[in-house]
Amino acid sequence: MGTSDPGALVAIYRWALPQVYGYLLPRCGSVVVAEDLTAEAFMAAVAAMQQGAAPDVNVAWLIGVARHKLVDHWRRQGRDERSRALMTQSDEGIEDPWDEELDRVVLHAALAELNGFQRAALTLRYLDGLRVTEVAEHLGRSVHATETLLTRSKAALRRAYRRSHDD
Amino acid sequence: MTTDPLAALRLPIVPIEPRPEFADALLRRIEARPGPLDRQTATIRYFVADLDASVDFYCRLLDFEEELRPSPVFAMLYRGDLRLLLSVPGGAGAVHTLPDGTVPQPGGWNRMTLQVADLVSTADSLRRHQVVFRHDIEAGVGVRTLLVEDPSGNPVELIEPTSGYHERRNT
Repeated sequence: MGTSDPGALVAIYRWALPQVYGYLLPRCGSVVVAEDLTAEAFMAAVAAMQQGAAPDVNVAWLIGVARHKLVDHWRRQGRDERSRALMTQSDEGIEDPWDEELDRVVLHAALAELNGFQRAALTLRYLDGLRVTEVAEHLGRSVHATETLLTRSKAALRRAYRRSHDD
Repeated sequence: MTTDPLAALRLPIVPIEPRPEFADALLRRIEARPGPLDRQTATIRYFVADLDASVDFYCRLLDFEEELRPSPVFAMLYRGDLRLLLSVPGGAGAVHTLPDGTVPQPGGWNRMTLQVADLVSTADSLRRHQVVFRHDIEAGVGVRTLLVEDPSGNPVELIEPTSGYHERRNT
């Protein structure tokens, strides 16, 4: 049974807001973008509640709404980047596992260099720990296409990681 | 089985307090959002040449009620949930005149659509009052329809639902 009264959202707002913001800020790395997406997520939650399309209101559901907003943001960004033809790097060696110990800080910095589609795929799969089928659902792609995107994204991340690490 | 090295990317959610100004502003937006029962009235503005003739036309022939007529160039009418603003364009300091001096004119093809219970008797009544018909009663999809003009030449479409008419369910 869902909740249609936005008052239920107001009731948990002070507690839920830092959780939603805490989910978004480290993933997008920008206060401006994180605030925009946080506002979008909460207003989308209100709209869903008013339309009777919301489940019981809780932080997990709000994080899910925020995740959709984050993916939408990166997809928009990805489309812009694609129009600037930034996805031209080759995929050689993409099956090679990384056998070294990865530097977590450098890895996150390298992730921020990727294009929107790649960043969305890797964030959902690895930062959020979603299954490939769930990632596919969020991205609106087939599982096969998502696997391909993940493979290419990992290759791109590896190149970015090596560049950062060598600097 | 080897561990995926990218498992190092896993990022648990740690609460972060946003700027208080942002938090307060967002809460105000959420609280200000109208609830489902506070549906906002749909408002249409028509430009008319003669305010008295227009008010008479809409109120006497099409079941509008006069709510306000605070000046010779503006009136507010209601028909159920629909609010119709009638404005006489032009004149000194007229708010609808564009910066380049362009003055809005009545007419055109966009129109409000009003549902009536009996289109034939409505058409007869309008005809008796010498209302201009752009077209007589015709069969549309899910409706019978009639297009008339108000005294300033603004189109008003009148419809009577027939089988297959789609009405959104009230929630």
